[in-house]
Amino acid sequence: MQTAIIAQGISKSFKTGFFQPRKQVLHDVDLEVASGAIFGILGPNGAGKTTFISILATLLRPDAGQARVLGLDAVKDAGLLRERVNLAASGAHFLWCLTVEENLKFYGRLYGLGGKALRAKVEELLDLFELRPHRRVTFERLSTGLKQRLALAKALINTPELLFLDEPTTGLDPEMAGHLREEILRLNRETGLTILLTTHNLREAELLCGEVAFLKEGHLLARGTMADLQERLGLGDHLSIFFQDGVPALDYARLPGVLVHKIENNRVDLKVDRAEERLAPILAAVSRTPGQVVQVQLKEVDLTEIYHEITH
Amino acid sequence: MKLPTDFNKILAFAARSALVNRRNVFAVFEMLFWPAIGIFSVGLLTRFLNLDAETVTFILIGAVSMNTIQIAQLDLSYALLYSVWAKSLKHEFMAPVRLTHILVGAGAVGLIRGMLVFAVMAFFSMWLFNMDLSRPGLGGLLIFLIGMFLNAAVIGALVLALVLRFGQRAEVAAWAFSYLMLLLCGLYYPVSVLPPWIGELAQIIPLTYFLEYFRHFYGFPLNYPHPLLYGFSLSVVYLCVCYALVHYTLKSALQRGTLLRLSE
Repeated sequence: MQTAIIAQGISKSFKTGFFQPRKQVLHDVDLEVASGAIFGILGPNGAGKTTFISILATLLRPDAGQARVLGLDAVKDAGLLRERVNLAASGAHFLWCLTVEENLKFYGRLYGLGGKALRAKVEELLDLFELRPHRRVTFERLSTGLKQRLALAKALINTPELLFLDEPTTGLDPEMAGHLREEILRLNRETGLTILLTTHNLREAELLCGEVAFLKEGHLLARGTMADLQERLGLGDHLSIFFQDGVPALDYARLPGVLVHKIENNRVDLKVDRAEERLAPILAAVSRTPGQVVQVQLKEVDLTEIYHEITH
Repeated sequence: MKLPTDFNKILAFAARSALVNRRNVFAVFEMLFWPAIGIFSVGLLTRFLNLDAETVTFILIGAVSMNTIQIAQLDLSYALLYSVWAKSLKHEFMAPVRLTHILVGAGAVGLIRGMLVFAVMAFFSMWLFNMDLSRPGLGGLLIFLIGMFLNAAVIGALVLALVLRFGQRAEVAAWAFSYLMLLLCGLYYPVSVLPPWIGELAQIIPLTYFLEYFRHFYGFPLNYPHPLLYGFSLSVVYLCVCYALVHYTLKSALQRGTLLRLSE
């Protein structure tokens, strides 16, 4: 497995004013991200997500620690690294009086593109993000959704190998956010682009990220795939079985994969490690009792629970 | 250094500056209205005072210089202020650009705008108020113009450093610096009339020497020997110092998080 990002012992603090103590924003954060992955950094506001991503994106220098991105030192080799990465952030901001096309050309030139190569790239991005009808519209006249699309288009102007997305769907309506997520997935799938995204939208992380890390008050609390985290935290999927005339007697705790069980009126609530795998044997065991099953509800563990478990 | 790549990066800042100027109605005011007001009010004053042709040129060349420098330094000063106003500063510095690209790109547009303002103001001054630009010859005029643009570059670079350190609050500096410099360098008067301690300050301003050099063609005595040597030397030293200062403030901005704060 190739590694796109290796961050070791990253710490960062900021001055808060004259005679005020410095505010520590990141504490000794370690992280590795595989090439070609979509990796999510989750955390509440003020957790240090943007600070961390900014250090990796060469926009901020750490007080301590080292970040190697695409094999380059994010401080010493910042100039070289900037050729190969790009960033899109929430609340897209570009020069108000330039059109969509002019903004893309401006950033294209900043990456050294010119002539036919620049024109071809701009045309490609206008098509990709359906911005062609708006190419001559100035930035200030674009809707929020179009601005965000332009931000993503700008982030691809240099055909980056690694894309930083800082809360990319914040402020978008659900439909537009959905489109953007599909686009992010498509880019990753079709081009193998490594994406590091920050979000506090758990559903978004669940949909997009193969792996996530949790930041809280500058500390990296946990990282892994959903399955890893679920297992580590002892979290399980929720399985509720409803019976016709009361819950039949059965040693529910001994059923396969059951972590916790609770009986309530005509219903038994089970928390199981992997519902997909355990559902059939559990229902087979229940069917051998006199109880008549009328309904089965299954809810897989989601990031909300993991998040709650980790941050509280 | 890859030349076509660097050229495109320089072109990015030049094209952006040019587009903003073209779309901004206030840019027309900056380039024509205010300079015209300045030239007409000073020109009419010289007519009222019934001054001789040499003194009229002495005063009017000051007014033309002021407007030219003001306009020429603005594009450089605004190179980062545009990004601060648009909150896009982090995207510009996320790209692999160097300070040279910004300085040369935005500076080139400033140079063109400054030349235009100079041409228009000089034309009106000669046509309406009998200013005589022929005496220094083309060479003398070119040297004077180069001196003015070097001064404008120094002010612009200094404002860039202030923008990187203080953000939007530095906006006022873009105007204040040039006015302060112009006051001290003997714009409408010989530096010999300044109080001695201000006269000392005038000696550290390169424009003082370029104005002296230009005016001596009209029979005004030189207050300082070798004005061109001092003028160019000081300009080069200040440009180097300002470049280093911008470089330092950028480095400091990466440490302090200023780029992020100015992009919020």
